[in-house]
Amino acid sequence: MLQTEQEFIRILRSRLEGTLPEEELNDIVSDYAEHFRIGKADGRSEEELFCSLGSPDDVAREIRATHLVKKAEDVKSCKNIFHAMLATLGLGLFNLVFVLIPFILLVVLLLVVFLFGIVFAIAGPAAFIYSVLQILGIPAFAIWQSPVAGVFFSIGITTFGLLLVIGDYYLARFFYRIGIRYLKWNISVITGTEDEA
Amino acid sequence: MSTDDQKPRHPLCMACNLQIGGISATRIILWLVALTIISFFIGFGILALSGDFPPQPGQAVSPFRHTTILTPNTTVIPLDGATEGDVRITLGAGDLSLQGGAPATALMESTVFSTAAVWQPELVQGINGSVKSVTMTEKGHKGKEWFAVDSPNNWAISLNDQVPLRLSVNVGAGDNLLDLGTLNLETLKVQTAAGDTIIDLGGYHGERYDAVINCGVGDLTLRVPRDSNTRIRVHNALGDIDNRGFVQDDDQFVTAVFNSSQAVNEITLNQGIGSLTLESI
Repeated sequence: MLQTEQEFIRILRSRLEGTLPEEELNDIVSDYAEHFRIGKADGRSEEELFCSLGSPDDVAREIRATHLVKKAEDVKSCKNIFHAMLATLGLGLFNLVFVLIPFILLVVLLLVVFLFGIVFAIAGPAAFIYSVLQILGIPAFAIWQSPVAGVFFSIGITTFGLLLVIGDYYLARFFYRIGIRYLKWNISVITGTEDEA
Repeated sequence: MSTDDQKPRHPLCMACNLQIGGISATRIILWLVALTIISFFIGFGILALSGDFPPQPGQAVSPFRHTTILTPNTTVIPLDGATEGDVRITLGAGDLSLQGGAPATALMESTVFSTAAVWQPELVQGINGSVKSVTMTEKGHKGKEWFAVDSPNNWAISLNDQVPLRLSVNVGAGDNLLDLGTLNLETLKVQTAAGDTIIDLGGYHGERYDAVINCGVGDLTLRVPRDSNTRIRVHNALGDIDNRGFVQDDDQFVTAVFNSSQAVNEITLNQGIGSLTLESI
């Protein structure tokens, strides 16, 4: 049970240290201090103010998630989106279903497309070499019905593989954007600021 | 300082402005799309000109050569006057179906369904006194043989029902159906690594036999006649045992009419992972 405003601020600060820049952390802490000051001036007790704010741990988790999602939006990287996803996951157990599972599915989808692209991009040149050898009559075992057609199919397989890899990159960017919006919406629903968002 | 300088740079973001020899990413993609379409168009065009496209009815649309052996390869191993048989079968990967019903003058009749000629097994036969032996071994898949597409490898083997047999079956990966009820067994050795196996001795009225069955990973079903004097010792590492009609005593399962003072069919069964079904039928 919290005893004082100072204790609330201390816990909030300790939970957010290392995640937020010092300047931003000081701003947040002073906002909450201001909130307490105004509340008290309006004649509300500390207990009422604690009840309206919730526990400092929950408040810190929400601020941390919001900050990391914003950071992932500003600086696009796998690390940032991963941290944002983990922070959002910490807001509620149900996010295991609503955040973690979709995240894993998307990552698996991207990996599968990427692997297919790589396999095609590697298999194409190998098939090209084999079709040339088949034209020269070197291998004892023919794989192409027509080795000349095989040359063109090999080129097609290679370029298709490269297209898959490039397409996977754009797909990842698309999912990244959608993912950020989804995480923002998720946080706003949990924190009850959906309408403001 | 410009706005771009202030934004954090990420390797992926640099690809947005990818330039190779002064060509932008969009142009590269368009070139790749065009190359893909044209390459496949020309490839199928050549196949069409050479008469391989469109494919014949029943043939798949593929630029690859099909190496299917349309006629299964059947080999008959004669008894050559022998009164006993020693059969050893080793299949690396594929499905095995083994049963009785070979012609009276033959020890074994094997039919191999395989898409690649090079995958035909090696058959070695010999006779030593009254024992005719045959070894059927898969030579293994390696090198260019892997280029064969859509490659089932199924063996269907019939054995002589009359002569006493020493039978050894060794399968690496695949499903096995051993329908041995009409055979006359002396010994039976079955070794499987991965895959489901059914060993059906239903209706067996041959000589007393000893059997050792080692099953690695996969479900195993063993059927023996309920009126036979059979004892099964089971060593099961991981999996359920479904006992249907046997009398169980710890790791031993015996038929309802079991009498240890009479000739007993002894079966030792070792299973790694998978469910085990024992049926007394």
